[in-house]
Amino acid sequence: MLNTLIEAFALISTWEVIIALLAASVYGLVIGSLPGLSATMATALLVPVTFYLSPIAAIATIVAASTMAIFSGDIPGALLRIPGTPASAAYADEAYAMTRKGEAELALGAGVWFSAVGGIAGTLSLMILAPPLAEIALSFSTFEYFWLAFLGLMCATLVARSSPVKAIAAMFIGLLVACIGIENPGGVPRFTFGLTDLFGGIEPIPALVGVFAVAQVMRAMLTPEPPPIPKRKFGSIMAGQWKLTKKYHVQMTRGNIIGIIIGVLPGAGADMAAWVSYAMSKKFSKEPEKFGTGHVEGLVEAGASNNASIASGWVPSLLFGIPGDTIAAIAIGVLYMKGLNPGPTLFTEKASSMYAIYLMFIIANLLMIPLGIVMIRLASYVLRAPRSSIMPVIMLCCAVGSFAIGNNMFGVVTVATFGIIGYVMEANGYPVAAMVLGVVMGTMVEQAFVTSLIKSDGSILPFFERPISAILAAFAIGAVIWPVVVWLWQRLKRQAPAATPAR
Amino acid sequence: MRLPDRVTGSFLVVLGGAAAYGGWLLPPVPGQPVGPNIFPLVIGSGLALCGLAITFGIGSTFEEEEEIIPIEGGETRPPPGRFYGLRALLPPALLLFYVAVADRLGFIITAALIVYATASALGARWRLALPLAVLAPIGIHLIFSKLLRVPLPIGLLPMPW
Repeated sequence: MLNTLIEAFALISTWEVIIALLAASVYGLVIGSLPGLSATMATALLVPVTFYLSPIAAIATIVAASTMAIFSGDIPGALLRIPGTPASAAYADEAYAMTRKGEAELALGAGVWFSAVGGIAGTLSLMILAPPLAEIALSFSTFEYFWLAFLGLMCATLVARSSPVKAIAAMFIGLLVACIGIENPGGVPRFTFGLTDLFGGIEPIPALVGVFAVAQVMRAMLTPEPPPIPKRKFGSIMAGQWKLTKKYHVQMTRGNIIGIIIGVLPGAGADMAAWVSYAMSKKFSKEPEKFGTGHVEGLVEAGASNNASIASGWVPSLLFGIPGDTIAAIAIGVLYMKGLNPGPTLFTEKASSMYAIYLMFIIANLLMIPLGIVMIRLASYVLRAPRSSIMPVIMLCCAVGSFAIGNNMFGVVTVATFGIIGYVMEANGYPVAAMVLGVVMGTMVEQAFVTSLIKSDGSILPFFERPISAILAAFAIGAVIWPVVVWLWQRLKRQAPAATPAR
Repeated sequence: MRLPDRVTGSFLVVLGGAAAYGGWLLPPVPGQPVGPNIFPLVIGSGLALCGLAITFGIGSTFEEEEEIIPIEGGETRPPPGRFYGLRALLPPALLLFYVAVADRLGFIITAALIVYATASALGARWRLALPLAVLAPIGIHLIFSKLLRVPLPIGLLPMPW
């Protein structure tokens, strides 16, 4: 244990890792603070760069960029009422109301401080939850993996803020995309339409970049430019945060716990955590009437929550290769590339690398406080950059980055295609996050499913025979039936007042 | 680009049906009851069912209206013309343009054209768009080609490094 810790320290105290961590932090802070550029997009555009780094440095960039971007989305939320990332959307109104009351420092300070606290709480949950879960996971067979993956996909559709039917459809589209190629149980070309470029299948990373980055540039073409930020001087940013911590420690803890739970659930990420926590905070508050008028309580809880979910989202990713959210989905891609294949054995065979990941999360969250303060002070300059100068650079990064992944032009075609798919889906209420999880998990779901079917000789029964697999199956089937029950209930409730009992 | 649910739903029915049929045609692994055929069959049928449900409007009550955060200062925009919506297709079109010509023109020239087009489409004046079109490709080229050794197409304008 102590030896592994020392080894982990040695792993991260190289110049490459330190520079990568710092550079990715600044990058994450800037991208996160620009409205319309989300944390997922920041991470996706980083992937081509991680190719050329050592495994630990590659993971350091992902960890740092995602952590910073989630916090810095609060900055334009508070100053402009435009959330920088979707994860800040839940409380952008509240933070802006505080700015108008002249409490911008308090709102932004709470953003930094409670984000850091939440991030560290999330990291602790990762450290505590992952090893014992790994013990259990060692005894999993393909049946359990199948149900686990299925449950993950269903969770992704349950938490989407749209019609569950559309979310499930989006997930199926993603799984269908994963069917393309020859990497299937028979090794025959499937849905390749004779194109050799499709034989290798669709790479998840260009698909992600297309859905999150190109689609965003497409949307920018049709939406008006956000107004420039007014110049202002800030007072002390951290003043009063300790008092807030003492006053709202219950809210803070609750935010952390909700964030951790939502992060661990496959498919549900930081934005969901922030929405749920903000709503919880309002519900349990002693002064709910103050919400919406510039009250810091909801900010404390939701700010702690969205950052806590980032670290805990790595739990299912590291253990099962099932992403906790879209950022973790990218992280899984990077882990595979770097030879750290997710799975329970990672915690025994590569224990020092795991400790290095924990340490990097903690360092990134501590680093967030000073860097975040600097970023807040510089925000009025950064946010002045017109959109017409940022989006072209994003376009270039999309083209070059997707080319770099396989050094072939087909990656660029994939990015463009998925840009259109993502744009059309989003515009019509199909959640793209569900599709992305489908693409990432497709091969694994199919492998678990077909291997299980071959083992059971085509019979369905063995899927329910092992105890853990039966429990997981019950959860998964419950997740499928749940929306149907809600729908029926709503329907009955609507008809109840009108219908007169016939008998 | 908001299409009626009937349209997207029917499209999914067709897509799912085609996938299921395509999967069904694939040969199973010799000596095994299942193979590469079963998964697309299941997925395609599921997708077709979802499409059917969407066509009939099931589940639409769950959809929340998108919260549009109004921008302060009362922005006034000219009413968009008939082809205004097609502007959204510019980014993917530019990427395909990159695929088509980058090998011949080289990275720097193609990238400059893409940057100029994107910037102008987003309302930049030439005084911003032109320097950006010169500097951004060089910067990206430095990072990806020099630092990360991505073999970017050289084309007509090789860089000195």
